[in-house]
Amino acid sequence: MNIRAHRARVYGAVGTVLLIAAVAVLIVAWRAQRHAPRPPATAAIPAQVIPSTPSSAAPTRLPVHSSRPAKPVIRGPLLPRSTPVRISIPAIGVTSTVQQLGLAADGTVQVPPLGRDSHTGWYKYSPTPGQLGPSIVLGHIDSAKYGPGVFYRLGDLRQHDRVAVTRADRTVAVFEIERVVEYPKKHFPTLQVYGNLDHAGLRLITCGGKFDPSVKSYEDNIVAYASLVSSRRA
Amino acid sequence: MKKSLRWAVPVAALGLAGLGIGLPGTASAASTTSYQANLQAINHVTGSGDFMLKLNGSQATVTEHVSGLADKFGGNAYPHVQHIHIDGKGQCPTTSADTNGDGVVSTTEGAPSYGGIGTTLSTSGDTSPAAGTTLTVAPSGATFTYSRSFTLDSKTMAALKAGTAVIVVHGLDPATLSKKAQGEKSDLVPALPLAATSPALCGVVTASQMTSVPGGAPQTGGGSTSGIQDESVLLLGGGLLIAAGGAFAARRRTARQN
Repeated sequence: MNIRAHRARVYGAVGTVLLIAAVAVLIVAWRAQRHAPRPPATAAIPAQVIPSTPSSAAPTRLPVHSSRPAKPVIRGPLLPRSTPVRISIPAIGVTSTVQQLGLAADGTVQVPPLGRDSHTGWYKYSPTPGQLGPSIVLGHIDSAKYGPGVFYRLGDLRQHDRVAVTRADRTVAVFEIERVVEYPKKHFPTLQVYGNLDHAGLRLITCGGKFDPSVKSYEDNIVAYASLVSSRRA
Repeated sequence: MKKSLRWAVPVAALGLAGLGIGLPGTASAASTTSYQANLQAINHVTGSGDFMLKLNGSQATVTEHVSGLADKFGGNAYPHVQHIHIDGKGQCPTTSADTNGDGVVSTTEGAPSYGGIGTTLSTSGDTSPAAGTTLTVAPSGATFTYSRSFTLDSKTMAALKAGTAVIVVHGLDPATLSKKAQGEKSDLVPALPLAATSPALCGVVTASQMTSVPGGAPQTGGGSTSGIQDESVLLLGGGLLIAAGGAFAARRRTARQN
């Protein structure tokens, strides 16, 4: 057995070991690729979670020729004002504290800090969860540094999933998802998401779609619409 | 740096962040009020729209989206004059307001519901009632986005606060009108046909349930899970693959020399 044959065998063995290592590493890397779920078109079809007609206690519609503007009618339960402290969405494994968010300089809602612990934030100029109107809660889908954020799986929410918001007054406001929709940021339907309601609503918002690295921004937003269905003591 | 000072910097930074000073660009929302209106079709129109107004003192910032209106008028983009109407009942008219029975609620017929012009939502210049039928400063086309900041007069401001302000966007496609109405002249500008000045969209302005309505899409993502992740691991895998290839090539060379 000459030295060359021995060397060839060593090269072959080294090559095999390297090949196995390469395949193993590539499998690990491939399995680490994670992409946030995006809501399908069927998730955008609204489900009715509160009665479509106002409760009997609400005033009947005033005749058209009344001299006063028509009184607003209200559907579903309402709660007095109290700030949110915790949110829990079992369907997508979310339990998080709720921070308070103001407005950013560009007029959009401030977002929670991009930290290792990703929290949700309630927009403090919106109604509190359970009050009449759209209560806005934001969460990150991910952060460049720390990976998936608190609302990473928001796109997995479906009609009739429950959201429980614990408030400072020790009541838990229970919401039910009506629909989950993905919008291009350029055509964000401001009035639909932030506009007035005839019930206590909740909007959970995060980012989605493609990420545009040149402007460090996702191209879409995912919005989950929910209505208050009940409340209980914490 | 002294040991004691080493801690002072992060502690001070935390203190600043806690006061809100460290946060990027926080805007005050305390002094603004927001109003909104859903613009709904009247007079057989199929369009719709939304209207938002932010009021800071007497400074109004309007953002409005309209779609599905008449597109062309004599080959040009159809001008849609639009106003904040005030001092009516704070309502949009129903078909029962069509007193002359021509199938069209004209601007005059609708007036008992929404009142007269308080502010003209023009694209430039005058925003007073005087500019109410100036077609050259009206937004135009089937679909438009209107945004403008201007000083709101005290009467319109009072109507906003009283809940009696109504947005009316005018201008109908003549083809959708009855034969009789197609032959009629405008009740406002006799030189124009009735279709040109009749209301197309209407919406009662209400105070927002939010103290301040945010501008639009929030930035809720950093992007780590969007594209290719763990590039370093992928590179390592690729490197190992190349090294393995090199080893096999070396083996073949050695074997051939044999």
